[in-house]
Parts: sequence; C-alpha cells; structure tokens
Amino acid sequence: MSASRIMWTAGSVGVTALLVLGWQIIANYGGIPQVFLPGPDRAWSALVDGFANGDLAELSLATIERMIYGWVLASIVGIVLGALIGSSRIAREYVAPMLEMVRPIPVSAFMPVVIAFLGLTGAMVTIVIAIGSIWPVLLATVQGVSSVEPRLMEVARSLRMGRLETLWKIALPSSQPDILAGMRIGLTVSLILAVIGEMLTSENGLGWHVLMAARSFRSADLFAGVILLGLIGLVSNVILQEIERYMLRWRRR
Amino acid sequence: MPTVSHADSAPLISFRDVNHDFGNRPILRNINLTVRKSEFVCLVGPSGCGKTTLLRMIGGLLAPTSGEVAFNGHRLNGPAKEISFMFQDYSKALLPWRTAAGNVSLALEANGVPARKRGPRIAELLKKVGLANHAEHFPAQLSGGMQQRVQIARCLAQDPSVLLMDEPFGALDAMTRQSLQDEILRLIAASGTTVLFVTHDLEEAIYLGNRVVALYPNPGRIAQIFDVDLPAKRDQLTTREQPNFLRLRRELYDFVREGEA
Amino acid sequence: MKTLKGLLLPVLLLVLWEISFRVSGIQSDSIAAPSQIAVAFWTALADGTIVRRTGETLRAAMTGLAIGGGSGLVLSIIIGLVPPIARLLQFSFEVLRPVPAVALIPVAILVLGFGYGMEIALVAFATFWPVLIYGHAAIVNIEPQLLDVSRVLRLNPFSRITKVVLPATMPRYFVAFRLAVAVALIVAITVEIAANPIGIGYELMQASQSLRPALMFAMVLWIGIVGWTLNAVLLFAQRRLFGPAAMSLAVRT
Repeated sequence: MSASRIMWTAGSVGVTALLVLGWQIIANYGGIPQVFLPGPDRAWSALVDGFANGDLAELSLATIERMIYGWVLASIVGIVLGALIGSSRIAREYVAPMLEMVRPIPVSAFMPVVIAFLGLTGAMVTIVIAIGSIWPVLLATVQGVSSVEPRLMEVARSLRMGRLETLWKIALPSSQPDILAGMRIGLTVSLILAVIGEMLTSENGLGWHVLMAARSFRSADLFAGVILLGLIGLVSNVILQEIERYMLRWRRR
Repeated sequence: MPTVSHADSAPLISFRDVNHDFGNRPILRNINLTVRKSEFVCLVGPSGCGKTTLLRMIGGLLAPTSGEVAFNGHRLNGPAKEISFMFQDYSKALLPWRTAAGNVSLALEANGVPARKRGPRIAELLKKVGLANHAEHFPAQLSGGMQQRVQIARCLAQDPSVLLMDEPFGALDAMTRQSLQDEILRLIAASGTTVLFVTHDLEEAIYLGNRVVALYPNPGRIAQIFDVDLPAKRDQLTTREQPNFLRLRRELYDFVREGEA
Repeated sequence: MKTLKGLLLPVLLLVLWEISFRVSGIQSDSIAAPSQIAVAFWTALADGTIVRRTGETLRAAMTGLAIGGGSGLVLSIIIGLVPPIARLLQFSFEVLRPVPAVALIPVAILVLGFGYGMEIALVAFATFWPVLIYGHAAIVNIEPQLLDVSRVLRLNPFSRITKVVLPATMPRYFVAFRLAVAVALIVAITVEIAANPIGIGYELMQASQSLRPALMFAMVLWIGIVGWTLNAVLLFAQRRLFGPAAMSLAVRT
C-alpha cells in the first residue's frame, strides 16, 4: 500500500474514532437519559461483561449457528434447483416466471406462513431461514447457468460431454461469479431472518436478547447486542468476500 | 523445417450434394468434396461463403438441410470422437477457471482417460506445444498465442485423426501467426493427422495446405480447387519466394477478386 | 404465448391445491384453500382493511424513504464532488453499513416506542445506503468533459450542481431510487411483522395469530402485488423519462 493510501485509511479510522468520542460526549453531557443513549463505555462494558459472566457467547453462537446452517442448506438446495432449472429450456419457460412472481415478496413475509406450517421449535426456525435465504442463490444460479458463454457449450458438445458432465464441469463453474454473489446476499438475508425468527419465536439467540433488553430498558445490553450483530454481519461478509476472491482468482485482472 | 504431409488414397471425409439453409437464407449449395487421409485442406473465400459452416458440419455441430456428410464411410450424426475442433475465439473457447493443464485435462476427462494416466499425458502435450512452464497458469495470464496453443494441446489430447481449425490464427499478430503455422505443420507431421483449415489469409492457405478449396459467397459454392504444388518441407522465407507459390498466390487473389465483383 | 407458458405451472398448482383441500375436507388453522384466500382478500378489500393498512405501510415507507433517500442523495453529491470527504468517511461507512436494519428494531423501539416514528426511522436508515452508494458511483463516473464545460462556463457551485451534475446523473439516481423504494417497502413490512402494530405486516401477523390463515395468505399475496406494481410503475417511468440514449450518454460506464 502506498504512503498516501495508508494516510487516508488512518484518517478515515480517525474520523470514526472522533465520531465514537462524540457519542461518548453526548451520552455523558448531552442531556439524553442514559436509558436511551448509553455511552460507548457502558456499551463496551456490557459487551465484555456479557461474555465474561453472562451468556452473550452462547447467544451469539446460537444465532450464528442458525444463520450458517440455514444459509448452507439454502445454498445447497438453491444451487441444485437452480442448476436443474437453468439448464433446461423447458424448465426455464415454465418455472422461471413463477419464481419471478414470488420475488418481490419480502422474505420476512414468508416467515409467519412457514411458521404456521412448521410450528415454533428451534429447528424450524433454521428451516425457515433456509427457505427465505434460498431465493438469491436460486435466482443467481438460474441466471448463471442459463447464460453460459455459448462457445463453451459448443466445446462441451464437440468433446461429446454428457448433460450432467456439462452441467458440472462447464455450466456451474462458469456461473461461479453469479452464484457466489447470490450466496453473499443469501448470507445477509439469513442473518436478518435469524434475528427476526428469534424475535418472533422467543428462541434463544441475540435477536431475542436485544428485544428483551429493549423491553426492560437495559440500553447498554441492547447496544452491546446490536454492535455484536453488526460485527457478525461484517465479519461473515468479509470472510465470504475473501473466499470469493480466492475462488475467482482466475478472472481477468 | 516443417513438412507438409502427403495424402493417402481412401476418402476420409466426404460431402455429397450438401445444401444448407438458415431459416430461408441459403448458406451452402451443391457442396461435393472429398478429403483423403493426411491431407491438409484449406478453405478460403470471402465472408458469406459458408466455409465456417462447412467446417462445423464436419465437427458434428451442425447437420446439413440436405445431402450427406460422411466420415470414414458413415454418415455423421454428431461430434465424432476422432475429430477435434479448434475455435477461432480462443479466449471464449478455453475454460477461464481452469489452468492450462486443467483445460487440456478436460479433453482427457471427456474421453474417459483414468485420472492417473492424465498427468503424464498433459505434461507431454504441453511440452509439445511449448507451454511446459505455463501449466499452472490461468488463460487470463497467458498471451493470445499461448492461449491458442493451449487449445491446440487440448485438441491433440483427443488423439484426433482429423483436426478442424476455424481461422485459428486470425486474431493473432503476424509473428505469432507464422510461428504457430510452423508449429502446426511440425505437430501433425509425425502423426499424419488430416487437417481442414479455414482462413481468410490466402498466403497462409497456400503455405500450409496441399489443397486449397476456394468458395464463392451468397450462397456458398465450391468455385475451384487448387492443388498446391510445392515441396513438402515449408519454410517461411524460401517457400514464400518460390515461383509456384507466387503463381498460386496470383491465381487465388484474382479468383477472389472476381468472386467479390 | 410466453406469458401463457409462464402461467401454466402456477395455475396448475393452484388448482391442485384447491382440489386437495375440497377432497380432503380438512379445516385447518394454518392453511387455507385458494378460494378461501380469494374470499378473504375480497372481504378485506371491501371493508377497507386493505386500503387502510396499505395506507399506513406506504405512509411510513415513503416518509422514511424521503428522509433516508434524501439525505443519501445530498451526502452522495457532497462526497462525490469533494473526494477527500469521501475518503475520510469511508471507514465509518464500512462499519455502519453492515448493521442489518432489523437489528436496530429494538433500539428504535426503545428510543421512539411503537408506531410510525420507529418505522420511519428504520426505513430511513435502510434506504440511506443504496442511494448514497449508487449516487456516489454515479457522480464519480460523470463524463469528465461535462465538468470541464461547467468550469469553462464559470458556473457557481449551486448552478453546477443543479444544471450539470444532477441532470447528468439523474438516470442512475433513478435506478438507485427504484432500489430504495423496494428496500423501503421490504423494511417497512419486516418491521411491522417483527414488532410494529401498524400496516399490512401487522395485519398479516394478526391474521396468523388469530388463526385466520385465509386472511394471512391474502396479505402475503397483497404484499406481492404492491411490490410488483410499484416496481412496474417505476420501471415504466424510467423507460419513459430516460430512454436508452439518456442512460448512456451522460455517464461513463
């Protein structure tokens, strides 16, 4: 990294630090009751305390687990279904329009429906998350598989590759960029659904924790929980981006 | 010096009364052509003469609207195992997510070669095309000429008896083109592979081939077939100065100009 | 013909659904037959429920969009025209953006209580980001010659913005706006489903909890219709206002 870039990054971090400082000052002297706006110091200590003495670690783990399991399930089913639909012209003509009809419905609207069908246990929440997160992956896979470079399909024909082999060795790898982008969106969706699911069903997890903190006016705990959720979202996204970068390293510079 | 192969007598590929339409546009009319084993046949002609369509028919990628395309005496019903096709747009014909070795491997995998036998074969093929040091590079990291050589290696991996090449060097610079021309001659010299080569470059057609088929456009028809009367050993400098080369060149140029008129 | 093909599968499924309901004769607390859903929908339309609830949701969503999208627009122009500010704010943006709006629901409840205020605030937060990011990208990609022209004509900053920058970037801002509208609707409904007792989402949850599955499904259907209609209207407007020419000339791709 060049010197000027390091300087700007440092400056940028500095601005954030200033904003946090501003938050502290407002919390201490701004006249807003601590019950609504705890200072960063109290949020931080609630965070540390929650991990050391409380069950914040368990709760985070529960949410993360739900998020990941739901997302993995959604990705696998989404890729398989998407590959089957995308690679068959018939399927594309008959099935794809139906998918498009369902697309504008916010995923959260499905939650009550699926919960009504499947009940309120912990495992069901994971399944609901999976059903909700499937859409970005499914649509991305259909898109990718149906728009493979035609020349590559001809290469496959010329080499007399069968349909399954073509799907596995040409269509799916060629759709990697689309599928990975869809999976990244799917991960964001699964975090959101995990939080909502926990709020709706009172299942153990960060979503439930922050809702309870809000109801009992424990603002420091609330902020700590929100920060934690933001961190989970950020870290999982960064990890996925790095994986994506590695998997797509063959792309044109 | 690279050598041009000489033909065997049995017809390997034959076109019999082939006509082809695309929708209601006539593309090819009355194509009758035989290609013998180990021949190097170049197809030339202006745009719209259907030379790529002809090639794709042999490649099994296209069936003629009427007439018969036969290989080894049997009608072609799809891509044949012993016929490999080399595309002009190499950047789109290579799998960008596989390395050079991976791309060559694709042909071996498609042919059912067991995994442990693939490694040595890939290494051998890449060495043959001079890319031994680039086996682990992705196409995006290779130059145009190198990418085309990967495609050559992939085609050779099929152990083809017929190599179909669709303007393979058209998108490359002159120097790379010339070195790849010699390389092709060298590669097929030992194996006696039959080659059908489509090109816009008349000199290239004469340099490489022992027969040049000239086509008229709209619709594509065979206008004339020239025999290339040049010594088997070709050299970029001396062959191109030979009187027969220049004569053929003149004939072809005149013919093409007439055809365009 | 293509539309007919696309409709075949959904219609078939609906018919099967209806038939299996009639044949089995079950009465369920969580599923309803399409005919029942249609009836529930019609009833809700007739007695004004749909109109009232939709009005509530749209009021919250559009107000939030105006605030969030508006600030996103203004800030994107500022950081677009003054790059150093963009670089200094980058880290703060990276930290705040991944926080899912749902995670902030409890915060909003704590600070603003239930009702329009918290929903508007959350929609504002969620719609701020797409407008900021896409708007910034649009400004940064303005054809440089247009900016040179504005300099040569000695336009003051205000004129420069209103006469050159905004018209040149209008097509891209519109695309960002379309996206923001979708986000606004999704977030509004999600908030209503999760916690807030107003709007279509709340009606959905009420129906689910009072074991009226037909009404619940009718609400899901309605949400889809609203979302689809909004998007279709905006897409139409985009095509009329900015034909393909406008989209390509003013902005470098």
